[in-house]
Amino acid sequence: MSGTLHSFIQLAWRNMWRNPRRTLITLVVVSAGLWSILFFNAFLNAWMQSSKDATLKLLIGSGQIHAREYMDNPNIKTVMAPPGARLRAALERPEIAAWSARLVLPGVIQSEYKTRPVNIAGVDPATERRLSSIPAKIVRGRYLNGVDDDGVVLGLHMAKRLKTGLGRRVILMSQNADGTVSEQSFTVVGLFDANQKTEDFYVFTGRAADQRFLHLNAEISEIAFAVPNDADLDPVLTRLRAAAPQLDVRSWRQLSTYLAATDSMMRGVIYIWLAVVFSMMAIGIVNTQLMAVFERLHEFGLLRALGMTPRRVLMMVSLESLFLIGVGCLVGMALAALTIWGLRGGIDLSAFAKGLELVQGGQVLFPKFDLASFVVFPLLIWLLGILVALWPASRAAKASPVEAMRHAT
Amino acid sequence: MSNIVSCRNVSKVFGHADLAVQALQGINLDIHAGDFATLAGPSGSGKTTLLNMIGALDTPSSGEVVIDGQPLARLTAAQLSEIRLHKVGFVFQAYNLIPVLSARENIEFVLELQGVPGAERKERALNALADVALEGLADRRPAQMSGGQQQRVAVARALVSRPAIVLADEPTANLDSKTSEELIALMYRLNQERGTTFVIGTHDPGVMAHSKRHIQLLDGRIDGDGQG
Repeated sequence: MSGTLHSFIQLAWRNMWRNPRRTLITLVVVSAGLWSILFFNAFLNAWMQSSKDATLKLLIGSGQIHAREYMDNPNIKTVMAPPGARLRAALERPEIAAWSARLVLPGVIQSEYKTRPVNIAGVDPATERRLSSIPAKIVRGRYLNGVDDDGVVLGLHMAKRLKTGLGRRVILMSQNADGTVSEQSFTVVGLFDANQKTEDFYVFTGRAADQRFLHLNAEISEIAFAVPNDADLDPVLTRLRAAAPQLDVRSWRQLSTYLAATDSMMRGVIYIWLAVVFSMMAIGIVNTQLMAVFERLHEFGLLRALGMTPRRVLMMVSLESLFLIGVGCLVGMALAALTIWGLRGGIDLSAFAKGLELVQGGQVLFPKFDLASFVVFPLLIWLLGILVALWPASRAAKASPVEAMRHAT
Repeated sequence: MSNIVSCRNVSKVFGHADLAVQALQGINLDIHAGDFATLAGPSGSGKTTLLNMIGALDTPSSGEVVIDGQPLARLTAAQLSEIRLHKVGFVFQAYNLIPVLSARENIEFVLELQGVPGAERKERALNALADVALEGLADRRPAQMSGGQQQRVAVARALVSRPAIVLADEPTANLDSKTSEELIALMYRLNQERGTTFVIGTHDPGVMAHSKRHIQLLDGRIDGDGQG
């Protein structure tokens, strides 16, 4: 049987090149289709990564911990104690690159001209620098110096709305622990440039200064943490929930449902694209193989006359499809790998910066070589391609030896 | 003398109802081992249909065909393939070699289907090429050979599997008279030296001149069967 298989492989390979033009057209269809799937997948992954980096690194992190009622009703009554030894130990595990305890409560900010609702975030600048990109986004003035720093950092858009600026004073108001409203003047020490939503909804001050302002001791309202490797996130969440069963531990998917929905949609889009591309490829493959079979119907009849069983004819023609699609897949993989390698420096989309902000995308995308995609997609195309090519192959297997004799005489 | 092929009351009808054509009508025929028989008759007399029945390429509408002791009735397509592979060799009018294979590979192909091991396969293929005086053209593809050379390769391919019978349908129709004469002489020599059984469908008087047995068909019936 191995001798026969070797002979069939040899015959199928030579048959594949009998009509080089048609074979090349099919190879171009398969390789271009697979290239588009692999590159599109890398592009969308890069986009998603960029969106996640742009959004999660601002404030959200990979996940957050709150008191149970906080997410439904964030107020002075839904704060929590700082992390105990058990939770702190879980937060110090190597899977978590950084974590930061914050006091974030709703309040009001007032300038000489305007009053705006806002979330007043009391932060620890040292831990925030490791977790959040806000400290690096200061464009005027400075970031906070420590937990006792009673300066305030505003977003550029908020400063513009309030018609205030660096060195000016603003009033922050919020309900305090005594049930009354605290009101205090803070100096604007820095302005940050992030997306408009963050700029409009958050102002930052030192955490201890914020606690004093709200008549709290060491209470906080949230702990944000960063897990660099996505695969570690679920186990980390499990450990944190075990360490603090009384608290509400959520992943970024629960905290930013828009981003999570975008992530799922992009994963869906690649499979829709796969289906579209494969449908076109399938038409090309079936068309080519049917033409090849009809042209050689006489020859298949001859093979049947010589004693080849229908099953062996089916196998031989399927081998031709296997080679044809396999070579196309290899070429497509090589082209996609070269394209991704060529774009390793990043795709600059700054010209579309405003639009990208709307969909939470970054301005420079970095497509990466993803081994799993380079295995799964070509294999899928290859197997599906062989499956659709079974139809022409079955036509060949049904070739009548009598027809061959009729052609011959 | 033992029978290689036996046909009993073989009839074949193509089409249905008013369009039915009776290609063969009650054929009774025995082909004996060592026969060098020609099957002659005008166009439409049923030569090719009868060769198809004898070669297990087609099955009769009624009657029975037995090849080398094996009745063909009720065999599946795959079983008929096996019969053709092991018991029948074919030589066609249009040579019908596989264009992407060399002369040797074309001959080896049948042996590969039979599962003959590689070394033996190659040796037998080269011997078969030597038998038809084409040992120097082993690596040529069909397109690189003349019609006569291709037909000799086809004869070598038909013989290499050591079949019980070789069927040739108008083997000289595409050849000039000299090449036809050489081909028939070759087949006749192989029949004489090895006892290979040949049945040749033909119009060619040169072919009929060599035959030891002449079967004449007319309107799907045997009109004569005698010494050539």
